Amino acid sequence: MSGAAREAWANVRARRGRAVLSGLGILLVATMLAVAATVSYGLETGFDRSAAEADLPDVLVSFDSQSASSVRERIAALPDLEAFSLREQLTSVPFRAGRESADNGVVEVVGPGRRGYAIVAGHDVSRRGGVVIEEGLATDWGLGVGDRIRVYDSPPLPIVGLARAPSNVAYPLAAPHIYVSLAAYRAATRQHSARQVNIAQIWLKDPSQLDAVLVQARMSSYGLSGLSLITRSGVRVVVDQAAGIVIALLAALSLIALLTAATMLTAAARAEIQRRLHAIGIWRAIGASRGHVARVAAFEALLVAVPAAAFGVGAGALLATGPSDRLLGLLNQDGPGSALLAPLLGCFALTVAIPALAAAWPAWRAAGGPPLALLRGAEIGGGRARWGTAGGGGLLRLGARLATTRRVRLVATLASLAICTSFVLLMLALASELNTLANDPTALGRRYQLSASLPASAAPRVRALPGVSAVGPRWEVSAVDAYSLGEITYVIGFRGDHTQFEDPPLVEGSRLGGARQAEVGRGLAQILGLRVGSTLALATASGRELRLRVSGIVSALEHDGRVAYVSERALLGAEPDAPEKLAVILKPGADTKTVTAELQRLGADVTASTGVAGGGKTLVDALRGLLLTIAAVDGLVCLYMLTQALALTAAERRSAIAVLRACGAGAGSIRVLLAGAALAVLVPAAVVAVVLERLVLGPAVSRLAQGYATLALGADAAEIAVLLLGLALIGTVAVWWVVRRLTSRPIAGGLG
Amino acid sequence: MSPERPVLRARGLAKQVGSGRARQQILAGVDLDVAAGEMVAVLGRSGSGKSTLLNLLGGLDRPDGGRVGVAGEEITGASEKTLDRIRLRRIGFIFQSFQLIEELTGEENVLLAARLPGAPRGGRRRAQALLARLGVSAVASHRPHELSGGEQQRFAIARALVNDPVLILADEATGNLDEGSAAAVIETLGELAAEGRAVVLVTHEAQSAAAADRVLHLVEGRLRAGREAAGPGP
Repeated sequence: MSGAAREAWANVRARRGRAVLSGLGILLVATMLAVAATVSYGLETGFDRSAAEADLPDVLVSFDSQSASSVRERIAALPDLEAFSLREQLTSVPFRAGRESADNGVVEVVGPGRRGYAIVAGHDVSRRGGVVIEEGLATDWGLGVGDRIRVYDSPPLPIVGLARAPSNVAYPLAAPHIYVSLAAYRAATRQHSARQVNIAQIWLKDPSQLDAVLVQARMSSYGLSGLSLITRSGVRVVVDQAAGIVIALLAALSLIALLTAATMLTAAARAEIQRRLHAIGIWRAIGASRGHVARVAAFEALLVAVPAAAFGVGAGALLATGPSDRLLGLLNQDGPGSALLAPLLGCFALTVAIPALAAAWPAWRAAGGPPLALLRGAEIGGGRARWGTAGGGGLLRLGARLATTRRVRLVATLASLAICTSFVLLMLALASELNTLANDPTALGRRYQLSASLPASAAPRVRALPGVSAVGPRWEVSAVDAYSLGEITYVIGFRGDHTQFEDPPLVEGSRLGGARQAEVGRGLAQILGLRVGSTLALATASGRELRLRVSGIVSALEHDGRVAYVSERALLGAEPDAPEKLAVILKPGADTKTVTAELQRLGADVTASTGVAGGGKTLVDALRGLLLTIAAVDGLVCLYMLTQALALTAAERRSAIAVLRACGAGAGSIRVLLAGAALAVLVPAAVVAVVLERLVLGPAVSRLAQGYATLALGADAAEIAVLLLGLALIGTVAVWWVVRRLTSRPIAGGLG
Repeated sequence: MSPERPVLRARGLAKQVGSGRARQQILAGVDLDVAAGEMVAVLGRSGSGKSTLLNLLGGLDRPDGGRVGVAGEEITGASEKTLDRIRLRRIGFIFQSFQLIEELTGEENVLLAARLPGAPRGGRRRAQALLARLGVSAVASHRPHELSGGEQQRFAIARALVNDPVLILADEATGNLDEGSAAAVIETLGELAAEGRAVVLVTHEAQSAAAADRVLHLVEGRLRAGREAAGPGP
């Protein structure tokens, strides 16, 4: 061991308390960085990793059903072709297993060749029968290999494997998928006609030639109707959209973690060096080089940082892996596994390097001064900066004055705390907004609380019930895109103005203006490439076609935005037997249970309106879990920052505090003193945090999210109150802890 | 106060410092009584344990053995709350390096002790009277770095006296002062004793100790009697 290392080890042993405090800070920062790295790395690389594992094709082609032989000929003629496989995709298939069921299932009848999905349990489909189900469906329904599932009204089919296909998000965010071999499908359905296909998967020898292949594919697609081509990168864009907002938030968190780390560790290191100037002066006077002094400081920092950072990075990774993997699972993507090691090592290196540099630099600077000045107690970087402190008294005020003595540190601590706090406020606003989306139907623009299965003719009777404010007939039917016959659309009609009952925010265009117009959800507009003025062509279950001009695009989360609002006339014209329900708006303060009972007395099945349902709710829950994890870690960092700032103030002003104690100030008085110091930092930090969140962070994240939903992320009074309560709690804990440490030592020690 | 009930009574005070092989018995059974109106000087070489003794007498540190009583109240083994109250109302400390809080003016430093919870009423009036008596009213609004050493020590004395304590403990109160200022401080301490307070002055300067009623030497952890002066004050 070198002389510097030995000296550093002795210093750490002699100042165990300080080493533990520094270690705790490094641990927290490392945890925060590791959380950010684990989630953002997982999301950033998830698609590529899963695509490689699943052997995702370079091009996915969908078209109206054709005979397999004619499609095979066309694809075989494409240039640069490495392989292709064909399958038939059947939509709106009812699935049932135990108590679970879905009526929007997708059956993929796969033929020979490559699959484009990864088997994650069991084995692939074979001629012998059995089905492979997607992992998301298995997780949501609690199914595994060996269980059985009914498709249509078939006898229960054995599940032989679980698959993950990154070409789409998982159930329940999307329709559930089941894979079955052609032979098994034919055996189950007793169909032996020529094979029909509507999906082709194409792998290229050289993916860089994709553009040329696509041009050729379009040219050779003559006669294929409902053609749609999507490339691997196209799939990625669609799937990654949902993760984009999370990645952006985590990138911000990483920056905050680094900023916080740099501020806290630099302040602590500077204070420690300041405290040791006399000792440094002695070392310099007896001939120690400037480099030796800096090396000792760096070694000391390393001795604390290495174990703390290792523990923090490990804890952060463990903490974030669960929520991150759940989110990745919903996106049909794999967790990063051992590939996460590299970014975690990066986090470790950063959290070790920052304290080492933060300790070595002020030591190097301090050691550059004349030894005599150091022995007389000079200050690093010149004399103490002070703010005007005339007038006033009282312990609270004195505490504030002690905390504001060092301006640079005050500004750095205040800025870091304000940013961290602002981020916590943003997380609160986001979590609250997600909670509203999940539980409050009005957040989705739904104005009615109950839905009753009664005919329109019953509306006057329902309107007369106590507690009912308004009633309107509502019809909802499913239809498919008339061109591709693939995408299910939910067509909704109300009598009169639908916005009285359902008012999803209008993103573009105008509201429904007549029987030949439709408002479409953003999800539907994206899938079908609709714009204001486009024609929406839908085929209803009865085979009638509905052709409407798109008047506007609305932000609707229901059914992933695959909705169309049309007039009563248009809907009933296309589907006269559409099931009828009554949407019931309650008077303010009306008891839902009482009105429900009254409606049931009229013979209605009553359902309460909810917020985001099904898949949307699952995603909301996953995101909320992630946000709360981040907020909790960020809150702990705030606590540490404040505790450290108070501990540094107390350490630097220990003689002043000792004098106060010698004069008879008890623990309560010292608490008041440090509460003043805490308030001097917390009050401006809270003000800056609220302003920052409302003017910068909230609007920025709202813009990021505008592709999915209209989120009002400016923190409201309740969230600000929660933040202030949290800060008060943090302040109380920090003051209590620092005073406890202070008063556990003899007063005489502070007077030396 | 009768000689049987001195303001300060210490019996068998013992204190060790350091640990392991560096452990050292710095006080080994110190007995001391100081009566009201008496000024006692404790002389000793650097490192002899003078300041440690003063810290134990004032309840700033806990002894390893022995007992201390101030104005009839036992402080050895007392709760922190009791110690706080005794320090607030019974004891005034004067330190070598003045220990004024830099952010506060001279007057605010004095008033700080008077405004602590539990301090006797009338602190402001007493503070102003003390500043006038000690001749620092004109610089009351100055901050410590704007004051001379002598002025700083007078503010420190005013702070020690503002709650009207019965016992004054002065630790090398003249150590950082020039000859003239040191003489003025010693004179003030003498006056305080003359008013009926008990004063303990620890110092390594024989000249400062000369004004005391009694001089004790701290040698090898024990107090030994030195020159006895004019006896307890008037």
